[in-house]
Amino acid sequence: MAEAKELMARYCDGEASAFRELYALVAPRLLGYLTKMARQRAVAEDLLQLTFMKVHRARAAYVRGADPVPWIYSIAHRTFIDETRRVKRGVVRISDSDELPEQRADLHGEADHSRDEPRADPELVKATLDALAELPDQQREAVVLTKLDGRSVAEAAEIAGTTVGAMKVRAHRGYEALRQLLGRPPARTAAAATTKAARGAP
Amino acid sequence: MTERDGLAELAAAPPPAPPPLSADLEAQLGTLSPVTTRRPLRQLAILVVVSLIYGVGLIALLTFRDDMLELPRFWLAIVAIGWLFGFLVPCYFALVPRAGAVTPRWRLAGIAVVIASIGFVTLGLAIHPMRPSSVSYGWEHFGRGHTCLEIGLATALVPVVIGAIFLRGALPIGSRWVAAALGAGGGCLGGLVLHLHCHVADGPHVGLIHGGVVVISALLSAAIVPRATDVR
Repeated sequence: MAEAKELMARYCDGEASAFRELYALVAPRLLGYLTKMARQRAVAEDLLQLTFMKVHRARAAYVRGADPVPWIYSIAHRTFIDETRRVKRGVVRISDSDELPEQRADLHGEADHSRDEPRADPELVKATLDALAELPDQQREAVVLTKLDGRSVAEAAEIAGTTVGAMKVRAHRGYEALRQLLGRPPARTAAAATTKAARGAP
Repeated sequence: MTERDGLAELAAAPPPAPPPLSADLEAQLGTLSPVTTRRPLRQLAILVVVSLIYGVGLIALLTFRDDMLELPRFWLAIVAIGWLFGFLVPCYFALVPRAGAVTPRWRLAGIAVVIASIGFVTLGLAIHPMRPSSVSYGWEHFGRGHTCLEIGLATALVPVVIGAIFLRGALPIGSRWVAAALGAGGGCLGGLVLHLHCHVADGPHVGLIHGGVVVISALLSAAIVPRATDVR
C-alpha cells in the first residue's frame, strides 16, 4: 500500500480513490485510538467520520511532502475534545428542586458491557480497558498514543498539542495509575469503573 | 496479570475494522476537485510583502516623524530593525511548520509572542531619546496616545487577516498561540510604522502605547482568529 503522504497528495489532486486508500490505511488505528478515548465504539465511529470530514474540508491546508498522519490524529484529538465539551455542556435538569443532582449528558453514556472488546485475551484485555477507562483523559491519551499506538513521545506531544516533557509526565503518571489499578482484584476494578460510569464521570 | 501484559495484549490486538464512509463523505468524494495545497514559505513571502507595502503606504500617508532628522541614526535604524524582526519571526513560526509537518510551530510561536510583548514594552519604557522637536505627553496626557494605538492596530490588521486566510484548517492544535503570533507580528509592524511616524517620545507613550500595540494585537488575534481558521 502506498505511503500516507503520497495518498494525501493524490487526494489533493482530486483522486477520490486515494482518499479511500488513505482511509483504509489510517482509519483502523485512528478508530482504535478514538475507541479507547471515547470508550464506546459507536461514539468513536461518529468521531472518526467527523474527523475525516474535517480532513476533507481542510485538505487545502495540507503541506505537500509532509506526513499527514500526525495532522489527522491532531484533528481527531481536537474533534474528541470539542465533542466531549459539547456533550458535557448539554446539561439536563431533571428536577426544579435542588434535591437531585444535575445529570450531565455523557459522551460515554452506555453501560459497561456495551464497550468495544478486542478479541485477544478477553479477560486481560477487558481488565486493561476498564483500568484505562478510569484514567483522566490526558493520561489515557498519553498511554494510548505512546504504549498502544506505538507513537514516539514527540509525535504524541504534537498530536495532543503539548510539550514533550508534559507528554512524558502524563504517560508516566498514566502508566503508574494503570499499574495500581491492575494490581487490584479484577472485580474491584470493574466495580469501580461501573460506579464511575453511573456517576457520569468522564 | 500486570499492566505490561495488559498493554501488550491490547497493543497486539488487531485494530478494529472502520465503518464504511458516511453518506456525506461519499457525496463529497463524488464531486471531488483538485485543491491548491498550502505552500508555507510562499505564503510567508506574500504576507510579508503585502504587509510591508501596506506599512510603507501608511507611513507615506501619515508622514515621517518631525524629529526624524534630529534623532541618532544608529538608534533609529537599530530599533527599526528590531521592530522588523519582531514582525518577521512570529509570522515565520506561525506560518511555516518544521520540515515534514503540517501544523505550524505553535510552541515557538508562543515563545516569540511572549518575548516580543515583554521586549518591546520594556525597551520603549527604558530607551526613548528626546530631541527638541520631540513631544512628551507623560502620564498626565497619556490618554492622548490612543491615536497611535489605533494606527498600530490598523496596521496589524492586514498581516493578521492574510495569515488567518492562509491558515484555515491548518490549526487543529495550538491555534491560540499561532493566532497570537500573527497578532504580535502585525503589532510589531504597527510598532515599526509608529516608530517612523510618531514624534511623541516619552517612556510611557513609547513603551505602553507603541509596545502595547503588540500585546493588544496578540490578545485580540488570539481571541478572534482561531474561530476564523477552524474547519467544522
